[in-house]
Amino acid sequence: MKTSLRVITILVILSMTLVACGTTSQNTPVANAKVNLTFWWWAESDAPGADAWMTETVAAYEKIHPNVTINIVPQSTDTLISAFQSAVTAKSGPDMASQWATGPLLGFVWQNAVAPISDYVPSSEISNWLNTNENMYQGKLWGMPMYLIGIDVMYNKTLFAKAGVTPPANGRWTWDQFMAACATFKAAGITPWVEGDKDGYGGAWFFSNVGIQTLDSTDDLRQAVIGKKSFTDPHYTGWYQSLDDMVKKGYFNQDIMSLDLSTSSQAFGQGKGAMSFGTDGMVKQAITDLGSGNVGVMQTPLLGSGKLATAGNATQSTTFFITKWSKNPQAAADFLVFMHTPDRLASWYKHTGVIAADARFNRSVVTDPVMQQMMTWETTGPQVWLENYLPGEVDTNADLAAGQTIFAQSGSPTDVANLWERAASTWRNQHPDELTNWQNWK
Amino acid sequence: MPKQPAVPKNRRKNKLEPYLYLAPATLFIIIVFVYPIIEIFHTSLLQNTASGIKTIGLTNYKLVVQDPVFLEALGNNGKLLISVPFMTVLALMVAILLFENTRGRILYRGIIFLPYILAIPVVGQTFVYLLGLNGILNTLLRDFGLGFLTIDWLGSATWVIPSISLVIIYREMGFGVVLFLARLMSLDKETLEAAAIDGANWWQKHLYVTLPQMSAVIEFFVVVELITMLSWVFSYVFTMTGGGPGFASTVMEFYIWEHAFAFRSPGIASALAVFLLLITSVLIVLQFRVRGRSLEEAE
Amino acid sequence: MKPGNPSTRLWSFLSSIPKHIILIFFSVVALYPVYYMTVTAFKTRQGWLHDQFGLPIPFTFQNMIDAMNKGNIPLWFGNSLIVTIASLVASTIVSALAAFALTRFHFAGRSFFYNSMIGLMVIPPAVLILPLFVLMVNIGLINTLPSVIIIYSGLLIPFSVYLLVSFFRSLPGELFDAAAIDGCTNLDIFLRITMPLSTPALVTLIVVNALFVWNELFVALVFLQDESVKTLMPGLTLFKGHFTNNEPLIMAGSLIATIPMVLLYLFGQRLFVEGLVAGAVK
Repeated sequence: MKTSLRVITILVILSMTLVACGTTSQNTPVANAKVNLTFWWWAESDAPGADAWMTETVAAYEKIHPNVTINIVPQSTDTLISAFQSAVTAKSGPDMASQWATGPLLGFVWQNAVAPISDYVPSSEISNWLNTNENMYQGKLWGMPMYLIGIDVMYNKTLFAKAGVTPPANGRWTWDQFMAACATFKAAGITPWVEGDKDGYGGAWFFSNVGIQTLDSTDDLRQAVIGKKSFTDPHYTGWYQSLDDMVKKGYFNQDIMSLDLSTSSQAFGQGKGAMSFGTDGMVKQAITDLGSGNVGVMQTPLLGSGKLATAGNATQSTTFFITKWSKNPQAAADFLVFMHTPDRLASWYKHTGVIAADARFNRSVVTDPVMQQMMTWETTGPQVWLENYLPGEVDTNADLAAGQTIFAQSGSPTDVANLWERAASTWRNQHPDELTNWQNWK
Repeated sequence: MPKQPAVPKNRRKNKLEPYLYLAPATLFIIIVFVYPIIEIFHTSLLQNTASGIKTIGLTNYKLVVQDPVFLEALGNNGKLLISVPFMTVLALMVAILLFENTRGRILYRGIIFLPYILAIPVVGQTFVYLLGLNGILNTLLRDFGLGFLTIDWLGSATWVIPSISLVIIYREMGFGVVLFLARLMSLDKETLEAAAIDGANWWQKHLYVTLPQMSAVIEFFVVVELITMLSWVFSYVFTMTGGGPGFASTVMEFYIWEHAFAFRSPGIASALAVFLLLITSVLIVLQFRVRGRSLEEAE
Repeated sequence: MKPGNPSTRLWSFLSSIPKHIILIFFSVVALYPVYYMTVTAFKTRQGWLHDQFGLPIPFTFQNMIDAMNKGNIPLWFGNSLIVTIASLVASTIVSALAAFALTRFHFAGRSFFYNSMIGLMVIPPAVLILPLFVLMVNIGLINTLPSVIIIYSGLLIPFSVYLLVSFFRSLPGELFDAAAIDGCTNLDIFLRITMPLSTPALVTLIVVNALFVWNELFVALVFLQDESVKTLMPGLTLFKGHFTNNEPLIMAGSLIATIPMVLLYLFGQRLFVEGLVAGAVK
């Protein structure tokens, strides 16, 4: 055979071998009942320290179950939904995954991508879990909660003292009092509120904490989602006027569009603003950064007077669930349940400072008065995290986009109201199947 | 003309032989280009409803046309196109300067071309820091007393597309410089020298003598970059802004991706893809102009 | 004015200063992001918060080590390597065969095929991506390396054919005629004459195509979602999304991803330059 032909043959065989290598390594048959579980994991952004806890948990579990290997794949916040959506469309992906509770998770339940965890876990175990109502549908529980976070306003006591502002006696300002305080901070050269809206979630937090206050129930929101009411009604979007007002008066940090939420909460911890929204984990971090006497918490200033204005906003935030296509659903469920064993629950708190969504979690470990205050708010009375009650696409195209429009000052509150309605009606037109689900829900 | 070969060839084998050589390429082309292009037309007529996939005619196109974000995406691609003349002029200028300076030419060229080989995700991520409120650009502005000009470049709805253009220019300019320099070095030196002796200054010399001789390669670069601004900017947007703030940096490729994978709207994504295809088809005409047409022409 | 005249040399030196200043300016701008990425990669987090722009003091290798251990950079690196090599081999062989046919034979559809190559170079991948995704899902190749190898090979073919046709055309026809008279089959001619003579063109083609595949993000992002098959570029975006606040770590990852191409560039700058320019400047 001629040399060049030989060379070409070798090259072709080589490339085919490489291609074959690529495929074989995934098709290796599982021998000796070895179980390989992949978990698309997200929690670190909500609860800094969660990654370290998960590494520890995996090591502990693999020691007890040597035939199980768990592969943790950390997810990005801004592609959490779209990455899983791609997996659903591809009909292949991880055994376990993370999604935000209620709306986002149910969206995937309706796409037949989720295996209900209540099929694999006895109800005696489930009865210990908190906030399971967030993921109940048609009598089944579709995912496991791990933690509870609320989001309140953390404030810098030193800066308050410096500007001569007194925090609210009953833990909650009226909006007018809040505006007056902001004006005082601004006059004293202190940024009243530091936040990050680079990926849109800063604005989303304002929606869930301020926008919620005019509503009477989650069903109230659903009416607008399914088109029975319009988002242009001030009942739903009138509050953006107040947010716009704050932006125009310069009450936010100038680089709000360059920072994402976790960076901005760190900025708060560096004393760059008098107030910010914070989850339990962020507050804990701020206490570490600023010193425990220097951080206080208050509830979101009161703007609206709907029934939900006085509701708490604790949510499990992230739900961990088993995918429909997993080849080892029971093994997956066993690992998830392991995360709720007493040692793991205690370790979770130690790593993150966020309370675990389990009645067996020993709350006496929460000693810091500020953290205790948050915990009380999170476990007393009705709790609604409003963002969970939107279809994912509407959340992205309306909620996130609206906040960014206001913070970047690229549109007026009226523009934003129209944006909401347009996003919702576009979603309704493009996804009649999802619309039907939302119409029939609850 | 070849002489009659000594060994007579089988006429039937002769006829099929070229097609055998073309077959593997044709197979790839059909899989990767032909099939998808046909499919997007087909899928654009469908919609997922509660009772399965239905054919809905041109409704998806109507929805797309009524969608203000679609218009915004088109507009954003349009704004990117506008940066092409700037880029071309810059690249020409640098190339001419390089041409006139024999000293250090290879070194300069090597450095200026370097950005072109860097990956877009890498470049994009670095520029996210460089263009931030406390990044190098704003810091320099403040240092030079222009503090009032500092903006959150990628976070401003007005400036995000120009900022992305800047990053694209950063990478693509090197290509232009190299291209133009190669052409310059093949130009006829005597004409230039004659112009200089005739008393033409730097600008006149280049405007009237150099540039006309470069029209073909300039046109080539412009067409390549126009195509780039429509077809190859997804990575910049994905890495740097995710389409935001709001939709201010959403471009057609990105919007298609969002609908296909984040919003699960294959019908809409396909309709958008059809629009993008039709728009880029216009550029195919230009493409033929600069890449030469048929094989016969050269023979 | 003789070129050797001292006053003209002084004049040309002086008038070249502003030109050098401009060129230096552009060089600094071109290099600065690379400088920034490199110094950040070797800074500690505290060091970076303290001074974004200066040299890394204190200097640390920890980020580079972490970048290799956290996330899956070595795995992604390996995947990128496999995908790049396989796509290049496939597309080059296939394109060379096609270009040979286009230049050597006359047959029906010849112009059509060649013109199609020119036209296809313009098609945005975004147009093709959803149907290809559905196709790969349906034939079970989603989340496998072969899926992107096939797609990249396909995407590379139009340009490769175009370039090789332009090169093959420049080879002297007498060689082929002589060989044909000697009784060589066309395959012989292809393998023993055309390919060896085309080595320079093939090398530059491979270099240019390697750049494209190595740096590609969009296709890899869509088709390779499983950790085990991700390539470097989508892996980096995931890496960035997860370690958002650790800028030095992110830059370390970016640096590792960039090194291969930069090394290739430093050793073979000419290849890149000629390859990209080829086909444009005749």
